[in-house]
Amino acid sequence: MSLDPALLDANAEPASLNARDLSLGYGRTSVIERLSLDVPSHQVTAIVGPNGCGKSTLLAGLCRLHKATHGAVVLDGRDIARLPTRQVAQRLALLPQDASAPDGLTVEELIRFGRQPHQGPLRQWSEHDQRIVEAALAAADLQALADRPLESMSGGQRQRAWIAMAIAQATPLLLLDEPTSALDLGHQIEVFELIRDLAAAGKTVVMVVHDISSACRYADHLVAMHDGRIVAEGPPAEVVNSALIERLYGVKCELLRDPHSGTPIIAGVRRR
Amino acid sequence: MKRSIPPGHWLLRSGSWSVLVDRRACLAGLTLSLALVVAGALSLASGSADIDAISAVRALFGVGEPMQVFLVRELRLERLLAGLFTGAALGIAGCLLQTLARNRLATPGVIGIDDGATAFAVASIVAVPTSLAPPALALIGAMTAAALAFGLAGGSGARGYRFIVVGIGVGAVFGALTNLMLARTDLDSANQAYPWTVGSLSARPWLAVQLLGIALLLAIPCAKGLNRALATLRFNDSVARGLGIDVARVRLLTLALTVLLTGLAVAVVGPVGLIALAAPEMARYLSGHRGVAVVNAGLAGALLMVCADWSGRTVLAPVEIPVGIVTAVIGGPYLLWILIRQPVRSTP
Repeated sequence: MSLDPALLDANAEPASLNARDLSLGYGRTSVIERLSLDVPSHQVTAIVGPNGCGKSTLLAGLCRLHKATHGAVVLDGRDIARLPTRQVAQRLALLPQDASAPDGLTVEELIRFGRQPHQGPLRQWSEHDQRIVEAALAAADLQALADRPLESMSGGQRQRAWIAMAIAQATPLLLLDEPTSALDLGHQIEVFELIRDLAAAGKTVVMVVHDISSACRYADHLVAMHDGRIVAEGPPAEVVNSALIERLYGVKCELLRDPHSGTPIIAGVRRR
Repeated sequence: MKRSIPPGHWLLRSGSWSVLVDRRACLAGLTLSLALVVAGALSLASGSADIDAISAVRALFGVGEPMQVFLVRELRLERLLAGLFTGAALGIAGCLLQTLARNRLATPGVIGIDDGATAFAVASIVAVPTSLAPPALALIGAMTAAALAFGLAGGSGARGYRFIVVGIGVGAVFGALTNLMLARTDLDSANQAYPWTVGSLSARPWLAVQLLGIALLLAIPCAKGLNRALATLRFNDSVARGLGIDVARVRLLTLALTVLLTGLAVAVVGPVGLIALAAPEMARYLSGHRGVAVVNAGLAGALLMVCADWSGRTVLAPVEIPVGIVTAVIGGPYLLWILIRQPVRSTP
């Protein structure tokens, strides 16, 4: 699958995203304490860890949905909390886990909303917008379903439509919260391959992934979290070992190599 | 599958400006406007001295018998304008609040704004001697009720249902206060306060009507300007914020518009809550799902109000049925019909 270069013209200047000494919490409960992270450009970063480790909270912090109690998230060298939200939306697209759309909306109408940050009350449509919407439809392989209402589609198709909306934002950064949860194996692979294509075309992707084997297989950079802290970070083949798995999930396991990609595979999982 | 512009739209273009017009919503607006003109003419024509509709319209422009001109322009026009303005204000306010709370039940009447306005207006007549006129107090009451509901629900109202439940509670308290005041007062004061409790166009204060007209002139462009943000607000908050919408700011502006319009409308007509529930529903049904039909909700509200007032005056003439009672009798079943014939959907 080839991507229309129009989807990437906002990428002319590469974006940078960093967390500096970042603390996040809910009320008085602190979830993340003094965390620092540099998101590598043009790569796929996967955040993994057990339930409640703060990985979704970190992602929400990185995309300004969650306000920092200390420190800052820095986008292109500036504090994301001080940037106008619309300007952020031109640099950073996100797909939350709880995304829900109004009734009756068709796939193409959904994707068109991705152009919103680039439009205005008197700039509601351009040939460029149209080209990007069509390119996003093609990238997610949804041309045949463009006029279908979202609620009539399968979970996998719907998830692809949401990703296509984020793609249509034409941002250099793309943040996804568990993009493959609730998808079957075939649809998971489809979504992950699409994410790889986007990174190959120059996008920087950060995603929260539940399944560590998928994270190893499709991410360039792995961020392993436990109890609100980063416990390991780097290329999956270098950082994943059975000690890390035991620390993260409290289970023993063997590590194999994927015969196809050479990435780690978790096998023989058992209680300690 | 190449197509030039989004399906179902017209594109208006001039230089770097481009505006998309939803065809179905546009046609719905035209239809509603036409119906409104006809209803308005009928309303002007009927009354103690019947005039035919065409003469009534001519009299409106100062043509025809002097007596008819006087009747139409001095007596009936005021009432028609009051109906048009209050209907439009309630329709728009209902549409805005439903979108804000992502719930079709969240109308100003349901969340207690009407009750607050009524309680304050009644209080000014029967309980507390005050120099402020009942309409001014109705506006203050509307603001108080909205501030209470919004504040107690925890600010921004991110959870639509919480806002509604709190609002129902606030409304119940104000409703009880109104009844308490009416029960403890003498018959004369209670009689005087009666129109404020049912909703009627017979005693509309002209200053309040004019104020409402000005407020509408300001509110419609504002609501139109918020339209795209409101359309995006139909997604959940995280999606809307990801698309660059300042959700908190849009919420506050929308709520402020809702309270202003509801408060001023109740100040003119009293609580005619059903308009705010039925008019946006009618506008949505006619306009389709693509956008938030704010203006069409206003047109539908004006149409419903004018028709309700007209039938209230003619059905049992010379006895007049207050418009609030007509809307309850006709609007209730109409709303049920709409809710039943559509698949159950919670979002507006």
